[in-house]
Order: sequence, then structure tokens, then C-alpha cells
Amino acid sequence: MSRHLLIPLACALLCVAIVVPWIAHAAGGGGFDPVVRAIEQRYQVHATRIPFMALASLVANRATHGGVGGVRIVEFEHFDKAVDGEELNRMVEEKLGQGWERMIRETSRHGNEQSLIFARPNGSRMGLFILDLDGNEMDVVEVSVDPDHLKETIGKYDHHAGDDSQESN
Amino acid sequence: MKNKMMVFVLGAVTLVLPALAQNAPSPLLLPPQVEKDLAARAANVTEVTLNKNMLGFAAKFMDDKDKDQAAVNQMIQGLDGIYVRDYEFDKEGEYSMDDIEKLRQAIETPEWTPMVRDRERKGAEMTDVMVKMVNGENKGMFILSAEPKELSIVLILGSIHLDQLGELKGLSGLGSLGNVEKDVPGLGNVERDAKSKAEEKAKEAQQKAQEKAKEAQQKAQDAGKGGDQ
Repeated sequence: MSRHLLIPLACALLCVAIVVPWIAHAAGGGGFDPVVRAIEQRYQVHATRIPFMALASLVANRATHGGVGGVRIVEFEHFDKAVDGEELNRMVEEKLGQGWERMIRETSRHGNEQSLIFARPNGSRMGLFILDLDGNEMDVVEVSVDPDHLKETIGKYDHHAGDDSQESN
Repeated sequence: MKNKMMVFVLGAVTLVLPALAQNAPSPLLLPPQVEKDLAARAANVTEVTLNKNMLGFAAKFMDDKDKDQAAVNQMIQGLDGIYVRDYEFDKEGEYSMDDIEKLRQAIETPEWTPMVRDRERKGAEMTDVMVKMVNGENKGMFILSAEPKELSIVLILGSIHLDQLGELKGLSGLGSLGNVEKDVPGLGNVERDAKSKAEEKAKEAQQKAQEKAKEAQQKAQDAGKGGDQ
């Protein structure tokens, strides 16, 4: 490759290397991990990650023919810090980044109960982010769902359940 | 020079548009500050925000072979969004009539027509139901229900028939909405009021009929006695 081509190509690659992460950040570079980290830092709690979750997610993806994928779960045990619902919501919204829309929020001043469900449409799939605090336990889940495939899988089991109930009758 | 200007304008638009999008008004049409204040004072807050995308997502789980679910699916296709805000307070008087008025004023635009305005004598409970009429078609419904310790707001946008509203209770994925007929306090009150009023009227009519029958019987007896004499 001649030298006069190499320099512009190197410049172009450098630009891409700088611009792409910036665009990704501007477009909402947040997600599951930043939310978990923010919760850990804010409330001084430790997230328990479930071992082999990636494998379990892969199995779930195969079993549902792509209906469910990208499953991520962490658990915060012994969560005894008082939570301000508004602050938690704001923090999750900020850390999740753009594209996520809050679907359901339930917050209770008594008993440390908070539920947040966010959704993000992504082509034929829908990303769901669920945070649930009940007493001293907080669960954070992210999952990507393809309604068409999931419906097929559910339908299959419904069908089997129907057969079983007919047989038992 | 022209190119530089173009790049500058494009850059500015790229930077400004996301900021504008973030500050876009809430589809709930309510003053954000009032919403915030109410949420801050409430002991329990429930917010459901289902825009067209979310409703479309929920609709995909509907079984088109099932008659009821197909009807619900059809209804969802016509909806643009369902928004619910429910505030439960520890004690009475945690929200003021001023808050209610601000909420009502936010929705009182020419395209929204009041359908029901129900007030208790003591003013402790009230229900407002408004519908959005566009070219004679119902394109939305707003329900504001206030009880001493609870304030509920429901906004349904899109083409909706009132008689179909109860169908939403079977909507998979909208469990938190529950039974709309029962849980949407405004609508529940309207239906309950209508039903109880109808029952009252029926009872009154029955009592009157019985009284008239007795009177007629008495008169007939009196007339008989008079004839015997």
C-alpha cells in the first residue's frame, strides 16, 4: 500500500476510534452494569451475581427459539438502606441511558418497596429492565424478549397443558 | 464558507435535538411539578406508562384465535397510550383542592369534553370523566378520581369505545392495570353510581306501585262497604 494512502486511512481509523465511542455514549452508553455499579456505590451494598448466568441465558435462548435472551440477574441481599423512590428512579433512568422508557413504577414510603420496569424496543425484540426491592432484598434483571417467538413457545406449552388436563379428565 | 456554515448548523442541530427530545412534554398532559409534588407527599405511588410501542408489545401476546383476546387486540391497535397515576396518602388533607384544580385545568382544553362530574356533598370525594372528541369520534378519556386519602388519574389516548373499556382487564402484560372496570376508580364510581341510581329508581317505582295498589284496594273495599250500607 502506498504511503499517500496509508496516512489518510490511519487518520480515518483514528477518527472512527474516537467518534464511535463518543456516539455510543451520546446515544445512551449506559445499561445494566452501570446501574448495578451505581446502586453499589450509592447504597454501599454488594451485588451477588449468579454463576453461569451467561450459560443459562444461552440455554433459555435456545429453549425458547430466541424468544428470551440476554438474561442478566443480580441480587442485593441484606439491603437495609432507606431508599428514596424518586432518587432511585432518577439514578436508574440516568444510568440506563437513552432509549429506555419507564413502563411501571411502584414506590412505597413504608417497608422499603420499590419496583421499576423499563422497556426498550429494539427491532422485533423488546428489552426489559426490572428492578425490584422488597424489604431487604433487591433484584435487578435485564432480559430481551422476542414476543413472536416467545408466544410460540408459550403456546406450545399451553397446548401440552391442555392435552394433559384432557387426559386427566 | 457555505460548507462551514452547513457543518456548524448540522452540528448544532445534532447537539440540540436530543436535549429537546429529553425536555419533551409528558404525554400525560399534567404539570410535571404537580406530579412531582404529589409523588413526594404520597405514601404509595403507582405509575403506569404504556405508549403505543408497549401496547403493541403486549398485543403480540394476544391469541388471535381466541375471540375475546382478538377483540382486545383490535382495541389495542387503536390506542396510542394508557397512563395511570395513583397516589395513596397516609392521612387526609395531604393534597389540596388547588392541586386538583391544577390537574383539571391542564386537561381542560377545547377538545376535551366533560362527561361526568360527580361531587359528594361534603366535597370529600369527586370524580371527573372527560372525553376527547375529534370529528365526532372518541379519541381519548381522562379520569380524575379524588378520595380523602387517594388520588387517581387515568388517561387513555386513542380510539376507544366506552363499552369496550372493560375488555382491558384481560390484557396480558398489563396486570398492574388490573380490572379496569373495578380498579379505575373514576370509571368504577360512574358505573356504580349509575347502577345504584337505577336500583333506587326501580325501588321507588316498586314502592309507589305497591302504595297505589293498596290505595286502590282500600278504595275498592270502601266502595264495597258503601254499597252494602
